[in-house]
Amino acid sequence: MEIPFVVTPRKDTGLTNSKIAIWLFLASEVMLFGGFFSAYVYLRVGSSDPVGGYPWPERALPILPGLINTFILIASSVTVVFAWAALKLRQWGKFQAFMGFTVLCAFVFLGLKGIEYNVKFHHQALRTVDGAVIEGHLGYEKKEGVDAHAEAKEEDYVLNHHGKKIEENRINVEATGLTFNTVRFHKDWVEEILTEAGHHHSKITLASDLKLALKPGAAEETVLPAGTELSTEVLAKVADLHLKARANNADVRTEALRKAWDVAHETYPSKRDWQIAEKVAIDPKALEGKLMTEAPNLAFKVDPPAKLTFAPRDVKAGQAQSSLRDGTAIDGVLLESPMVFHAVDALDFRHLAMKAINKGLDPMAEVEKSWVLANSPELREIWEWHKGEIAKLEERLKQDYEMKGKSKREPTFTERYRVEWKDFAAKAEGKPRTEREGVIKLKEQFMGPNYDDRAAAHTFPELSVPRDQVAFDSKFTPAWNPFYAIYFTITGLHGLHVIGGALVLGYYLFRGKKMYLSNPEWLANRVEVGGLFWHFVDLVWIFLFPLLYLM
Amino acid sequence: MADSPEEIRKKTKTYLAVGALLFIGTVLTWAVATQEFLDIGGHGFDRADCILGLLIATVKASCVAGIFMHLNHEKKAIYWIFFGSFVFVFFLAWLLKLAHDSPIFDQFFYR
Repeated sequence: MEIPFVVTPRKDTGLTNSKIAIWLFLASEVMLFGGFFSAYVYLRVGSSDPVGGYPWPERALPILPGLINTFILIASSVTVVFAWAALKLRQWGKFQAFMGFTVLCAFVFLGLKGIEYNVKFHHQALRTVDGAVIEGHLGYEKKEGVDAHAEAKEEDYVLNHHGKKIEENRINVEATGLTFNTVRFHKDWVEEILTEAGHHHSKITLASDLKLALKPGAAEETVLPAGTELSTEVLAKVADLHLKARANNADVRTEALRKAWDVAHETYPSKRDWQIAEKVAIDPKALEGKLMTEAPNLAFKVDPPAKLTFAPRDVKAGQAQSSLRDGTAIDGVLLESPMVFHAVDALDFRHLAMKAINKGLDPMAEVEKSWVLANSPELREIWEWHKGEIAKLEERLKQDYEMKGKSKREPTFTERYRVEWKDFAAKAEGKPRTEREGVIKLKEQFMGPNYDDRAAAHTFPELSVPRDQVAFDSKFTPAWNPFYAIYFTITGLHGLHVIGGALVLGYYLFRGKKMYLSNPEWLANRVEVGGLFWHFVDLVWIFLFPLLYLM
Repeated sequence: MADSPEEIRKKTKTYLAVGALLFIGTVLTWAVATQEFLDIGGHGFDRADCILGLLIATVKASCVAGIFMHLNHEKKAIYWIFFGSFVFVFFLAWLLKLAHDSPIFDQFFYR
């Protein structure tokens, strides 16, 4: 039996089933993306609010990948229409060619998107305590004895458990003692601690005998003697005993409380529960001889003291004691734990300037007092050059206003307080700021600056930031700025739509022959609605590109 | 589908022309946003340039919707569905505006 209205349209609407269905779906998609676009507009406008505003990465995305992606999607939109037209004209070969090109465009688009995302995930941003923002790439830890300034080879780098290089952004603690939470300890971290201690020839052993009552009311017995070496098996064994004890004790207490309530009800028969609640308490005598010993924590000593390193997001560091996110307490002194930038490629004082303006202070004066300018002669030099260039820009704009009759314009807040990598490159090449677009090579328009090639000219300085200057650090991810949050959300959702569309169109391309031979008009209708979805995906990108990349 | 093979053959040139127009529109959007000589009023990138950029994007989107998606000769039912979605998006954006203008928040939090 043939499904009605897949080829012949309905008489009342004049439409086939797929047509109505796809437009209903596209209407819902308009609402979905419309919501996100509205959210973007409000976030963007809110960032320029004089009171509650914050620096926005305006026009910070490299334009060329976005521009090429726009061309790719437009081309694929054209070819998907031609693919449908070829089907209507019963030209199977042409259909395959056009549809193949469309699907290829989809994958090129996703590839470029992937490269863009990857570059952002590796780009580090830091806000210091005074509000200055430093952007760049972190260095990687090198083996002891390797010259830090010589050109590094692959074998000079320290590798972690997973064989990857370790970024120079670690908290170092000289641990003398460790107290693990027996239930919450994270196995991977325990293994890493053991490995690191092993490197320093330190032993991690139980600080004192672990004595537990293993049966209700029984006497405590030594389960683990002092000096037992730390291992995940030991912790797991104690966790098991602790959980059994905890379950038993909870049952015993619940039973005792139940009995106490029964007694209270008998004593005060006419009173309501809430009236007698204060009088109800567990009788300690009822618990005698029924409890087992719980062991929620287990303390170990580290002998000799070992230097342990942790990722900043995993540890809450303190001068004398630090704690990990799994509840492990580390006794020991906090060592120097700098955040080391191998290449600083942007300096942004907008946040610092905004805070100064809100306090009624001169923003430039506050910028001059910042830690980064006081402690890095190279960045100070770049900042002085930038100030000179902005002064020249001010002069040129003033002349344009007075002599050429152009409207009055001053350097924007961003131009005045943000020095970005193209400025660093222009200065290093001895070019003025007005020619900074010209210093970028084609590859750099996609991948960002070529740090290796530019190293010889000392374009991007190194900087070691002590831990007490680090207020907030993140890669260019949603954590850093609401712009990145909505950028990844909206382009990610769009990317998922591209994948979905490519899968559907690919299905018609590779599996459509059978249907073409049996019912070509039905296939043409299906390809048409698939094409309509594809055009919608292109439509969203037509708005996304200017909104995210150009504005 | 209403389009007959003859009509489709005639439309091939239109599709190519619209495709070329979209490419030119994209270059224009980029130029308006980045080239100083196309800056409206010479104030740097400001509201006027934003509006112009979005206007160009709207024209491009209309070409895609009208010609590629056949909306210029679609049936009434489709027009109603599409119109409905814009009404809902308008109300969605209006809700955001309401939330922005009279937010519910703890005034002491932002000190």
